[in-house]
This record gives sequence, structure tokens and C-alpha cells, in this order.
Amino acid sequence: MTQTQAPGMAIQVLLVEDSPGDVRLTQEALREANLAVKLHVAADGVEAMSFLRREGLHADAPRPDLILLDLNLPRMDGREVLAHIKADASLKTIPTIILTTSEAEADIVKSYQLQANSYLSKPVQLDQFENLVRSINDFWLTKAKLPHQGTSA
Amino acid sequence: MADGVAAAIIIGSTLQDSGEKYRMLLDSIRDYAIFLLDLDGVVTSWNAGAERIKGYTAAEIVGQRYSRFFTDDDIREGRPAEILRLTAATGRHEEQGIRVRKDGSQFRASLTFTALRDSAGELQGFAELSHDLSERTASEARYRGLLEAAPDAMVVVNQAGEIVLLNVQAEQQFGYRRDELIGQQVTNIIPVGFAERIISDGTRTAAEALAQEIGTGIELVALRNDGSEFPIEIMLSPLDTAEGRLVTAAIRDISVRKAAELTLAQSIESLSRSNEELEQFAYVASHDLQEPLRMVSSYTQLLGRRYAGQLDSDADEFISYAVDGAARMQRLIQDLLSYSRVGTKAQDMVTASSEAALERALHDLRGAIEESGAQVTHDALPDVLADERQLAQLFQNLIGNGIKYQSGNVPEIHISVADESSDMCIFSVRDNGIGIDAQYSKKIFGMFQRLHGRDEYAGTGIGLAICKKIVERHGGTISVDSQPGQGSTFSFALPRSERNS
Repeated sequence: MTQTQAPGMAIQVLLVEDSPGDVRLTQEALREANLAVKLHVAADGVEAMSFLRREGLHADAPRPDLILLDLNLPRMDGREVLAHIKADASLKTIPTIILTTSEAEADIVKSYQLQANSYLSKPVQLDQFENLVRSINDFWLTKAKLPHQGTSA
Repeated sequence: MADGVAAAIIIGSTLQDSGEKYRMLLDSIRDYAIFLLDLDGVVTSWNAGAERIKGYTAAEIVGQRYSRFFTDDDIREGRPAEILRLTAATGRHEEQGIRVRKDGSQFRASLTFTALRDSAGELQGFAELSHDLSERTASEARYRGLLEAAPDAMVVVNQAGEIVLLNVQAEQQFGYRRDELIGQQVTNIIPVGFAERIISDGTRTAAEALAQEIGTGIELVALRNDGSEFPIEIMLSPLDTAEGRLVTAAIRDISVRKAAELTLAQSIESLSRSNEELEQFAYVASHDLQEPLRMVSSYTQLLGRRYAGQLDSDADEFISYAVDGAARMQRLIQDLLSYSRVGTKAQDMVTASSEAALERALHDLRGAIEESGAQVTHDALPDVLADERQLAQLFQNLIGNGIKYQSGNVPEIHISVADESSDMCIFSVRDNGIGIDAQYSKKIFGMFQRLHGRDEYAGTGIGLAICKKIVERHGGTISVDSQPGQGSTFSFALPRSERNS
């Protein structure tokens, strides 16, 4: 678990990502954009579910406002995590965004069938990636009206 | 040939009419022995054919028992009486057998016996109609000569599926001596398909069979004497003879052709498989290469951005080379992906508007067009048989080149079309760019072929290779007509949509 401190009324985001390089890039993009986001990281699907269900070490974990989910993960992959989230009455209202390198049509279709809230592919260029992170923040954490539930903020 | 039953009916009529004209009719038949017997097998009537074939005059034989026509063996076995009994019981009896002439010589005859009854149904006697089978030898010899001259193995089969004749090529092909096959079932050498064919064809007329079978080879499997199998093609032709319908089969060993066909099919399959695997490999490799490259590229960019001017000037230079190299590799991988997608992400050829494809290309090029102030014009463009997405990419690459390869001019690009043949449209994309030396006009369509240094014009050398692959996938060709400083005209042919013609 890596946590990035953000000042004030931080928005809780769970990033499920096994590549440390991508985790750091996301942190840097949030930092460059000066966003009040508290980023929690789970390195695989099992840890992500444990965080969301507040099991074991994650007993005090906050309920995330947004989940960024990679598809290809060790132990439990993103598709399974997505299926678990959307089958859980207390979790399924959390916007879950697939953020992956795959551009395969099959992955896109499968993700939406599993009720992903959107499907984004990681851009190859740094500035495009930064733009994407800003867009996610702008739409899902600023513009979109979401139900308040649990312990968020 | 005369039918035995018909002849017997004629004889039957003579019993009632006893007219001289019927005797004259019977005497005119010389190819067949026709005579009457009483209930005891005594000859009562004798025609000219009988005299010719058996050697007795009517005066010599009328009143004699017909058993004298039989061999001693047949007489011992009681054949003469047995035949009359069978004929009386069934009304008709047919057989082939050995008969004896007046001079004692023997011949093989085909014989038909008919029971003769009066109007009350009372048995009055018998009629015998017979034919000397050895007389066929002359015409058979001519036919045999024809068979031997044929380049293929020839086998003649009767309606019972028995081999009655074959040539030397058939002996060699099947590994039998002639006498081992004559009289044998054809299923011994062609186990499946042939005998069934004869039976099913048996009900058809010769004309029908001819109309259907001549020139149409039937592929079957044949069996040699040693048990080995080989593929054959047979051509059947029916032949009506005294013995009924015979079927002559020309049999060609097609092992060599089959083996060649198989080799060809296997080569094609393995080629297309390796081609597919290669495209799949290129796609997967370039996709997976992107991942680590994204890390290199992103972090060198971060380094450059965050630490520019904070390290020494060497560091700044090194970082800029790393950023530039990563960016070029990304473009290369993107282009490789595009190239492999021409094969792996291909869509079906449908009637497509080339004008719509051009609009799509111009939309994707709008940044470059605005930046350069390029003037892109075009004629009215036809519908073609194409993958519209690939056609758009083709236009985009060629127009993009026209915009990129300039030295100071405002790019002017014109797309036109010419109908050079009924089934292909020739498109031309003409630009006012730097042009290409004629010696490179083929080379530029190869993979990774570049004519300029990177500091002059950026690029991966894949764009025109993609164009060539797209055009060839559509069954067309692409070429360039150009001189340095005179602009370039790229021409490609695409199949015309039927809707236009």
C-alpha cells in the first residue's frame, strides 16, 4: 500500500495497478495537476477486494469515491474484480473506470458488460496521460453527481 | 439385335397361321438358329439360320431328337430333358452352353427356349432360338485392338459387374494377368463406387448415360493385386451388345496428380499459416513493446521537464536524445501495428464510396492541412469494391506524404480518377512536392525504406509499404511517376464496384 497525502477534504481514489511505474506516473500526474486526491493503491485484485471489504490490514480503509482498475493483474484480474464490485450492493455504486493498455475490442465489450462506468486506454505520451488524469478528475470527481454512502470524505 | 422373346412370338404365330410368309421370314434370319421341338424334344421345324449354324439341312434333322446337339457330358447329365422340363415349368429358359455341330465341332452358344401353348393353354411344344457366340470374335477382335491402343487402362464390365475384357495397361496397373481378371467381379479391383454406378446406370438408356458421363471423370480408389490402393479417375461409356449393356471404363492412375495436389494444398496452407503467424507475431510484439516503451518515454519526458537546466548541459543533451529516441520508437511501433493490421484487422470488400474514404482521410489530416495551408482538390470519385477504412488510410498516407515532402511550396494535392479498364479504376494522387528520383520508384514501397535523413523529414519508412499492402490486398497495383523537383503522382488501381458499371 502506497498512499499519497493530499491536503484538505481529499477525495479518495483506489488505483488497482500492478506496475509501480504506472502507479508513480499517476501520482505524478495528480501532483502536477494539483488535485486534492488521496490515492490508495492495491497491487492486485485480491488486495483490491480486501481493501474494499475492509478486511484484515484494511479494516480502517475509507470507502473510495472512484476506482481506477487495470485489467491485467496478478492473482485476481480486473475483470473478476469488476464482477465482484458490481455484484456487491454496497460497492456497486462506486464509479469504476477501467484504465488499461489493452485496446482489444473483446476487453472493451466485456468490461461494459460487467458494468464498468467507462473504459480508458493509457495514452503512450506523458502529456496525454496527464490530460487523461485531469479529465477523470474533472468529470467523475467534480462534474458528476454521485450518491453519498458509507464513510467517504 | 433380335430379341429372343420377339422371335419366339413370331414362331408362335406360325403355329396358328401356318402361312408360307412366316416360313420365309424365319428363313431370312441367318444369324440365329430358330427351330421347333415337340413335347419329346423331336425337331419339327428348321430355319436357314439353324442350317448354317448347326450344319444340318431341314430334311436331315426334322424328325430327329434335339439331344444330338448336346455334348456327351450334357447328355449323360440329362440336360436335354432337363431344359425342356425347366422351359415347360417357367415358360421360358435361357442359358449359355456348348453345342455340337453336324461335323462334330463344338461352339459356345447362347440359347433361349420358349414353351408353346395353344389357345386352351395346352403345351404343344417348344421353340429354341440360339446364337453362335464365337461369331462375335471378329468384331470383338477389332474392339480389343482399340482397347490395346488406348493410353489408359481399359476394363469392360457387364451388367452383373463381371469383367469381360481388359487391356494390357489394365493388367499392368492392377498387377494381374488377364485370365485372372476375366469373369471376376469388378469390385475386386475397384471396391467402391464402380459396381454401384453400373447398377444405377442400368436403368438408363445409352443416350442418357452418354449425355451424362462422357468427359466427366469420377474419382475412386482402386486396389492392386498386392493389396495396395491407388487413386484413379474413371470415365465410363456404355456399349450395347448381344450380351446386353456393357460398360467400358477408361481408368487413369492419378497418384501423381493427387500427390501434387496434396503437396500444393499443404504448401498453400503452411504458407498462409506462417503468414498469419507472422502478422500475429508482429501485432502482439509491437503491442507488447509499447508497454515498456511507455515507461521509458514517460520517465525520460518527466526527467527532461523537471530537471532541465538543473543538471549540466551534457545531461540535458543526453535526456533529449533519450526522449527523441523513445518518441521515434513509438512512431515506429505505431506504424508497424498499422502495417500488421492491414492483414489482421481487415474487413470485407464491399461497395465503398471512395469519396467518403477521402473525406475521412482529410478529416484525420486536418491538423497537418491547417498547419501547412495545403490545398487539396479532387475530381468526382467513383464507388469501388474496397475495405473503406483501409482506402481512407491509403489516401491519408499519400496525401500526408504530399504535405510532408515539401521544400518551401504551399502543398497542392489533387486526386483524380481514370477508367483504364472495365473492371479497375485508376486513382492518382498528384502533389507539388520535392519529387523522387526514378531509380527509387520501386524501392520506396519497401519496408523501412527512407530517402532522407531524419533531420530533413521525419518518418519511419513504413507509410508507403502500408499503401502497397493495402492496394495489393485489393487486387491492385501501386506505382509512382515523378522527377526530383517536379512533384510526384502516385497511381493505384482498385476494383470497380459493380454498381457503377
